[in-house]
Amino acid sequence: MTSEQEQLEDLLVVTDSHGSDGEPRARRIRPGVLPGISVNFLLLVLGAAFLLPLIWLVDASLNPHASAALSGPAWSITNYRAALAAGAGGAIKNSLYLAVVSTIVATAVSTLAAFALSRRRVPFKASLLLVILFLTGLPVTLLLIPIFEIFVHLGWVDSPFYTSLVLAATSVPFAIWLLKNFIDQVPRELEEAAAIEGASELRILWRIVIPLAMPGILVASILTFINSWGAFLIPLVLDANPNDQPGALGIYQFMSANGAVHFGPLAAYAILFSAPVVVLYLICSRWLNGGFAFAGGVKG
Amino acid sequence: MTTLREAPPEELEEIPEDRDDRELVKASTFLWLSPAGILVMALFVLPTLYALYIGFTDMQLLGPHAQHFSFTGLANIKQLIHDPVFWSSVKLTLIFVIGSGIIAQTVLGFALALLGQRAHFSLRASVGSIVILAWVLPEIAVAFIWYSFGQAGGTLSQLIGHPGDDLLSTVPLLIVCVANAWRGTAFSMLILSAGLRNVPQEVDEAAQLEGASYWTRLFRVTIPIMRPTIMTNMLLITIGTISDFTLIYAMTQGGPGNETAILPVYMYIQAFQFNDLGYGTAIALALIVIGALLSIVYVRQLRPELRRVR
Amino acid sequence: MANIVLDGVSKFFKGEKAAVYDLDLEVEDGEFVVVVGPSGCGKTTTLRMLAGFETPTKGTIRIGGKVMNQVQPKDRDLAMVFQNYALFPHMTIEKNLSFGMKIRRSPKNSIKKEVEEIAGMLGISPLLGRKPGELSGGERQRVALGRALLRRPQVFLLDEPLSNLDAALRAQMRVELKRIHAQYPVTTIYVTHDQVEAMTMADRVALMQGGRLQQIAKPETLYEQPTNIFAASFVGTPKINFFPGTLRRGDSGVELDFLSCTQHLNGALGAKLSQLPINDVTVGFRPEDIRLAPRDVAGLAVVSATVELVEPLGSETNVVARVLDQVITCKFPARTGLSSGDVIQLEFDVLQMKLFDKESTNHLN
Repeated sequence: MTSEQEQLEDLLVVTDSHGSDGEPRARRIRPGVLPGISVNFLLLVLGAAFLLPLIWLVDASLNPHASAALSGPAWSITNYRAALAAGAGGAIKNSLYLAVVSTIVATAVSTLAAFALSRRRVPFKASLLLVILFLTGLPVTLLLIPIFEIFVHLGWVDSPFYTSLVLAATSVPFAIWLLKNFIDQVPRELEEAAAIEGASELRILWRIVIPLAMPGILVASILTFINSWGAFLIPLVLDANPNDQPGALGIYQFMSANGAVHFGPLAAYAILFSAPVVVLYLICSRWLNGGFAFAGGVKG
Repeated sequence: MTTLREAPPEELEEIPEDRDDRELVKASTFLWLSPAGILVMALFVLPTLYALYIGFTDMQLLGPHAQHFSFTGLANIKQLIHDPVFWSSVKLTLIFVIGSGIIAQTVLGFALALLGQRAHFSLRASVGSIVILAWVLPEIAVAFIWYSFGQAGGTLSQLIGHPGDDLLSTVPLLIVCVANAWRGTAFSMLILSAGLRNVPQEVDEAAQLEGASYWTRLFRVTIPIMRPTIMTNMLLITIGTISDFTLIYAMTQGGPGNETAILPVYMYIQAFQFNDLGYGTAIALALIVIGALLSIVYVRQLRPELRRVR
Repeated sequence: MANIVLDGVSKFFKGEKAAVYDLDLEVEDGEFVVVVGPSGCGKTTTLRMLAGFETPTKGTIRIGGKVMNQVQPKDRDLAMVFQNYALFPHMTIEKNLSFGMKIRRSPKNSIKKEVEEIAGMLGISPLLGRKPGELSGGERQRVALGRALLRRPQVFLLDEPLSNLDAALRAQMRVELKRIHAQYPVTTIYVTHDQVEAMTMADRVALMQGGRLQQIAKPETLYEQPTNIFAASFVGTPKINFFPGTLRRGDSGVELDFLSCTQHLNGALGAKLSQLPINDVTVGFRPEDIRLAPRDVAGLAVVSATVELVEPLGSETNVVARVLDQVITCKFPARTGLSSGDVIQLEFDVLQMKLFDKESTNHLN
């Protein structure tokens, strides 16, 4: 054992695997009571605790007789078929639409704004930046009712397009803030050199700044995509058309419909719905070497 | 050829000029900013102002006051004050945010970060991935998983030995808190491990030389150094959790009764199920106020650090 | 005609002293002018105003006869080599070099041909497919130079291009730059803080300090006839020696007392000084204008000094000696046989003496 791990024995944190609520919790114990507990073991236990719900999900999706409880896998795709029959495919397509459109709009809009804020003199820039930072934390709950009213007046309800604009807007403040920090790091001299070479502003943005800020742009887009993919409340309020339902609403419908809950198909539905986002995260984390170095994003 | 320069005048004219010509104001500046500006104006500023109005009206979703609503002054506020469900909702919100958000996620995230620092590399990577996976899952999936777990016959009830218990009826708030903690820990874990990495090793080593035990070092050295990170983390958790809707609504719809009706859920119920848009908006405004108060607390804590950064 | 005229140009930044104050500068077409001075003297600001990245607060900038104050950098037909080269890190060397030509929509074949030609001339042909991150400092600098040359501009601006290179490379690049300028005699403004670069490369040197132009002259002129104490001490290694002196006016004319000498000032200088109401002066002698005097020679500007430090440099020897309370640095030919503590006789070459008004620090002769 390394000296660090020996020191860690002073820690003597033991996971009590079954607390009163069934959730593993860490509690302190007097030193000397339980020697030999290593860091790895603790981490393993915590990891297992986190893994359990995920295992259930996969297991339930593969078991045609799945219940709320964990049981052995039965390796069948019946549930997946049932999920698709219940409309999973269509719902996921709707989610794709919402996510793609909102990501394109949000990223484009934010990149332009971040460029201007980073490079150009803007009146009241300091206050503007503060406002943007503040907006990243503004709960959508406040905006939903007024937006709903306005959209009703304009006839923009029940429209996936306008719904995705709202989704884009919720991601824009954070995206601007993130992108501005990235663009700040592109050396100004490069733009000056390009300007001397005769490049117009647009060309400088397109050929110099954007390629060099690309990591930031990708992070912003991916975060927006993930945010919009799981959208629930906003589509719930703004789009009552059952054909437009994104995955989150589809799953919810399925959960609350027809009396008994069909755990198996629902689990399959949930996995189908989660898969794209999980894959996206895996690609992204491989690309960024081990997870989001900077984590952020507004939940909900 | 040489030139003789005269002595410079003592007083130099002061012409107000901007510090940096490189940031030129051009017409194009506004072009770049306008799409974002329009979007933000239309979908943030305008609705916020409108909300400030709606909250004081008797606007309805359907019915007589849907088209013709009127300003009712402080009627909604009065209703709020006398509404026991509202106050219970506030309490539930605070418990939810502070309990499952700030306390649970921070503690778990920190524990994972600390353990991860010293654990075997591949173990850290795999546990990290699992925890992050829980975070990346769409919220509805998380809601479904824990809904199933908390059922009668669900995994949780089995684990505690009472398989017939419907935990969602008996301890609904606890279950949703656990679900939220499970989901959100990854965020804290990432931020706090980054913060841990920024604690200079030499300081910890100096403390070791002074004979400090692990716990002492953790609480007297590491955590104080990480204070800004921890505070920022808590601020972000609060902002994210306080308006969380999907998880609870999908799991319990705020029930049973109103036992898990945190403010966003209560707002939705009042506005879209009970038809009272005005009152719902008032609830949302209350939510903003509470969020702002909490944020101010954090920002106060962070102010000395912020000043340095600026 | 790509001459440059700066007329009364000043640049103020909010709340601070002027970065550049009342600058009048004329550069002829094809001339290589080095703008030199210590940090903060305004040379870089001047260059940036020429490029168009800063706008003059007052005064006009004319290039080729046209007023350029409001003209965008991209429309000024200039080329600039930045201190940090400013190569586009995400593009290959070839793309970096052809960037400007693509903007000007030159035909593809001529782009290729010219890029290859310049690359060959600068010795960077094998690097064309690589990215800037893979190149050494010297190589990057040459790419930056190549990019500037390819513009075939009317004016070249160079911002301390050699400061990031090691000494040997710097010496080599100095020669190459002059050679290139001989081949493409484009009006060039070269900014540096290094007086060696100024002296070796410039047709004329513009010396700045505190935002003001101190002197603009050929290198030799700057060296031999500096306008003030600052100019005198900025060029020349080791630095010029200064001591206080007093002027006495008598019937026989003007006499100068310094150290333990008295020098009678004849001719034009004497006549001029007899008119001016100045008594306190600063006397300047460059280290090479001080010689070892043979013993017991009277009547010349000779003082007795004690050697403090001998620094043999191989080709010459610097000797630091003390006279009363003054420390003098002398430059002697290679072997002197001197050592610390020796008492020597120093003779001052009065013909090379530089006199400065003590108050205004201006050159008097």
